[in-house]
Amino acid sequence: MLDIRHLKVAYGITEVLRDVSFQVPAGSIVALLGGNGSGKTTMLNTLTGLVRPVSGSITFEGAECAGLPPHGFVRRGICQVPQGREVWPSMSVNDNLELGAATRRDWAGIRSDLDEVYAMFPKLTVHRRRQAGSLSGGEQQMVAIGRALMARPRCLLMDEPSAGLAPAIVGDMVDTILALNRRGLTILLVEQNIGVAAAVAEYAHILQGGEIAFSGPAAGLIDNPAVLRSYLGR
Amino acid sequence: MLSYLLLSGVTTGALYALVALGIVVVNKATGVINFAHGELFMFSGFIAWSLHVQMGVAYPLALPLAVAAGFALGALTDRIAFRPLIKADVISLVLATVGIAFVLRGVARIVWGGKGDYLSFPPITSPEPIMIGQIMVIPQQLAVLGGAILVMLLFAAFFRLTRAGKMMQATADNSKAATLVGIQTARIYTLSFGTGAAIAAAAAVLMAPLTLLYPDMGFAFFIKGFAAAVLGGLTSLPGAVLGGLSIGIIEALAGGYIHSSFIEVSAFIVIMFVLVVRPTGLLGFSRLRRV
Repeated sequence: MLDIRHLKVAYGITEVLRDVSFQVPAGSIVALLGGNGSGKTTMLNTLTGLVRPVSGSITFEGAECAGLPPHGFVRRGICQVPQGREVWPSMSVNDNLELGAATRRDWAGIRSDLDEVYAMFPKLTVHRRRQAGSLSGGEQQMVAIGRALMARPRCLLMDEPSAGLAPAIVGDMVDTILALNRRGLTILLVEQNIGVAAAVAEYAHILQGGEIAFSGPAAGLIDNPAVLRSYLGR
Repeated sequence: MLSYLLLSGVTTGALYALVALGIVVVNKATGVINFAHGELFMFSGFIAWSLHVQMGVAYPLALPLAVAAGFALGALTDRIAFRPLIKADVISLVLATVGIAFVLRGVARIVWGGKGDYLSFPPITSPEPIMIGQIMVIPQQLAVLGGAILVMLLFAAFFRLTRAGKMMQATADNSKAATLVGIQTARIYTLSFGTGAAIAAAAAVLMAPLTLLYPDMGFAFFIKGFAAAVLGGLTSLPGAVLGGLSIGIIEALAGGYIHSSFIEVSAFIVIMFVLVVRPTGLLGFSRLRRV
């Protein structure tokens, strides 16, 4: 579904990604792992149009997407849940969710999708008039996910959804990701938390120094001390 | 005396509030102070004058036309002085708006400058003062005040209730998140510059029948509006309204009870006082800029 081939990204003369290729099959959850400075964030920024690649291709459902502006990616059906939630703190929960559909004009569809998001996160229904910035970290994460769903994406990019959450809520996050996948969403999960990645993803790729250093079933990762030590520094 | 001063203070204050509102709308969205704001105000006032006095367009029609022209000029300011420089530092952006200010002032001098030093705008209500109880009221003042309140309400409704207004709020709140949901922030900046200038245009057209128009009037009003915006916290819309009314009243009282020369100085004194005592303004809050 999402096919990344020979992707090269540079800031000026600094190459951040060199010749990265991997696939995210339709209906799957794929994890992209890597430490700080491995190129994970750049990878995501390229997949949302914030950064243009120097060369290589990003095809989504058969159509070339490399070089599209950010709203182009959203319209094609690729949407990101950013790291650190990035909700609009002074706006209401409801406004946050509604604006997730900024690229859409099918008002009836938007309204039914909004109801669906509230059904999925009943807690948000209670807080719909509250400022998003006043919610807890876990609730803000629900707003961020709900907002991304409002664009009606087919592929969801999740940037460290477990980062900054209380350990007790990380389990809920895992359940949410699995539930989204069961609804038919394809998910690319970028994580530092291998536990979360191993719990949800079928397949994992490890980025190191701007290259894919390891690819394999996610379940095997946690039992592979050589992989953990050499690529993630643990 | 006091009630008269207060009423005239509130009336000019409402105009300052509109000018401040425009400054804050642009600053909230883009982080830039548009130094051409006063000139956009002046230019729109002259456009209204040409429409109303030279072409005979009725005042109620000249007002929205001038507001539309103001919006177009504001959007043009964005295209010339902001969008091409969006990656440049703030100083360059601010200087670019200063450049626009001088161009607008120069054009205004060429077009409207040769017709006597000041152009007068015919009053739209009877110039005779009327007495409401013990208070002497100039009907034009009430018209200005009512018009200003209407403009504020319209803007508040646009900002809080429409999708475009909410997109402006979102871009001001967190522009990266706005980009990620597919909001085209460059368009929102254009919209913000246009809206800010449209509000300034409304202020100019409301004010015109009360005073005189001259090509150099922009800076004086910009400083008053800027003082009001600083007093309100520079990013707070209610703060801009509160700041504008405060400056208007302070000016009127200082002019009435101390000396008329204090009218011009009081805005500067307010700016200095606010920056020293409470740099975040009345309703502002210190904001950590995330980069």
